Amino acid sequence: MEYKIKKTKAPGRDEVELLGATFEEGKPEGEDMGKWRQKLDSREERLKYLENGERYFYSQEWFGSEKRKNPA
Amino acid sequence: MAEEKETKSIDQGTLELIEKAAKEGVNTTFDRAESIKACPIGSVGSCCKHCGMGPCRVPLPKGKEETPEDKKKRRGVCGATAETIAARNFIRMIAGGAAAHSDHGRGVAELFLEVAKGGAPGYEIKDEQKLLQVALDLGVEIGERSNNEIAADIGRIALGEYGKQAGELITLRKAPLKRQELWRKLGVAPRGIDREIVEIMHRTHIGVDQDYKSLLKQGVRTALADGWGGSLMATDLQDILFGTPAPILGQANLGVLEEGEVNIIIHGHEPLLSEMIVTVAQEPEMIKLAKSKGAKGINLSGMCCTANEILMRHGVPIAGNFLQQELAIVTGAVDAMVVDVQCIMQSVQTVAECYHTKIITTSPKARIPGATHVEFDEHDALKSAREIVKTAIENFPNRKGNIHIPDNKTDQIAGFSHETINYLLGGMFRASYRPLNDNIINGRIRGVAGVVGCNNARTKHNEAHITMVKELIKNDVLVLTTGCNAIACAEAGLLVPEAAKQFAGKGLAEVCETVGIPPVLHMGSCVDNSRILIAATAMVKDGGLGDDISDLPVAGAAPEWMSEKAISIGQYFVASGVYTVFGVTWPTTGSKEVTDYLFKDMEEMLGGMWAFEPDPIKAAHLMIAHIDKKRKALGIDQARERVLYDMDMRRELDAV
Repeated sequence: MEYKIKKTKAPGRDEVELLGATFEEGKPEGEDMGKWRQKLDSREERLKYLENGERYFYSQEWFGSEKRKNPA
Repeated sequence: MAEEKETKSIDQGTLELIEKAAKEGVNTTFDRAESIKACPIGSVGSCCKHCGMGPCRVPLPKGKEETPEDKKKRRGVCGATAETIAARNFIRMIAGGAAAHSDHGRGVAELFLEVAKGGAPGYEIKDEQKLLQVALDLGVEIGERSNNEIAADIGRIALGEYGKQAGELITLRKAPLKRQELWRKLGVAPRGIDREIVEIMHRTHIGVDQDYKSLLKQGVRTALADGWGGSLMATDLQDILFGTPAPILGQANLGVLEEGEVNIIIHGHEPLLSEMIVTVAQEPEMIKLAKSKGAKGINLSGMCCTANEILMRHGVPIAGNFLQQELAIVTGAVDAMVVDVQCIMQSVQTVAECYHTKIITTSPKARIPGATHVEFDEHDALKSAREIVKTAIENFPNRKGNIHIPDNKTDQIAGFSHETINYLLGGMFRASYRPLNDNIINGRIRGVAGVVGCNNARTKHNEAHITMVKELIKNDVLVLTTGCNAIACAEAGLLVPEAAKQFAGKGLAEVCETVGIPPVLHMGSCVDNSRILIAATAMVKDGGLGDDISDLPVAGAAPEWMSEKAISIGQYFVASGVYTVFGVTWPTTGSKEVTDYLFKDMEEMLGGMWAFEPDPIKAAHLMIAHIDKKRKALGIDQARERVLYDMDMRRELDAV
């Protein structure tokens, strides 16, 4: 990971160097703005997301309120 | 005059254009709704015109209770009772609505298959994630196969669902298990989409099914074929081709038209050609051509559900909903209105003749005399789109001087597909409906309402939509919206996160602020009501709120409905276990038995039922009362906060 150094003025001191944010900016800009699905790069990642993120429909194990139910 | 204005719309720009139309002698739907009274016998389902011995009118006696003798006489020439006639009429509405949605779905499936085979240049599979999702739904092998190979199988299976003769629709498997079991037990699990629609037409022919309960049961089966079949497939395949919607900023209302630019309005319901028009309108050659005609550029906007489709995926602004289609032309600034299918008034052509607007029909299924026809050819869609955009540009210099664009437009955030809600509530690594269910359980959110449907010229434009939605969110009910209700909400400024603070109850506002969402979530067009079904199913499957949709504290409504599609939508929501309230008018009140069956008996059978209440506040209160009933049944009717116990509190517990 590359650390970003930000220079800023501090009270009672001259310019100081601060370690910048390492997280992804919360406001993406441009064409991809809001298109979260593009974060998944490969077919493997996409299938994994379906199994976990969309577990209600695609988990290997049944999830939630229907877990205890007999198959329809 | 001021009093008359108030009866027609709650939107200032709409009122300005109604007045402009009146001054310029242009007849609009608002005028016609005043001069044509609805037939009092047909509107309650008491007129049968299914054979050459009729039409037979079997109205309830006026001003007195019906005696058993009177009732015996209330029959058509063939002997059909008022119950049979009301039920026949009702389920023919379902057949019409289901046919419209499902034929839309079929058109998408046909294009989808062509794209997979490489026969539709300009189109591509944009959302591999959704492709894989649908492949899993339909049991298509994924492995190392290419997207096009997978898509070809999906397209073939999807098309096969229309003509299937036996078994049941594959996509029913997405519903909660308990619901699937119920449908099978009741014998209402649909076989093939077309089969169910055809069977309604057969059963309602003279001398076939003459038991109103049996007729209504077939209505349920057909509506399910729409919601969990044709509509759901339309939504899914469109998502694969054009992208699954994610939050996007757009604008709404007639003020999105630009006086100095070539205005093209895309109106109707199918996004197949409009997606290409969006692409072509941005081509440098087209912009150059527009400038050569004296325009500053090309301004694309939408109307009705095609608008919702291109808003959800591209942020293209919405010029208005159903009752604003003629008024957009009355601005004098629309150079072309491109129409595909459904909810297009024939009078757009007669209104256009008073101005310079070109009406361009594009579907062989939807022609209008006098309009220019540029047929959509999926094998060369870009060519069709270019011809349309050029026609609009060349019409720009023909504008007359009488232009007035109302100064009203609002911001909106759209694009809340089920997939995106799931992602927003938990992020990439813990996508989940858990926060929603938790906040329903702890009482911050009282329940969820799907408020959808049309405009109706017999009621004040947008008034019932907005009054109902505001009342619901004020009472901490999260609203999911589609269709013309979504456009009304956008115009009223309810589709931005800031609306939560202004209009929502404290609990709902807190949740909206935390997640960063509006209190009213725009989920798309009217076929996208299937997204609401999937969201409700995810709530069930997440757990804690029962094990069927009918256990959830949810309700549905169409406060300004008018189309047969709305009846089909309402019926598939009822059949999925949702309490559903319609406004304006109710088409079976000519038969008490049929109405009682829909309003009472269906709840015992399906866990969901219909209701009718034209007053939007009272209707919202009916929905809230139903939500409270479900909360009580779940044992979550008292607000409870999770308490983190410290050591002192634990010691107190131990001491007990």
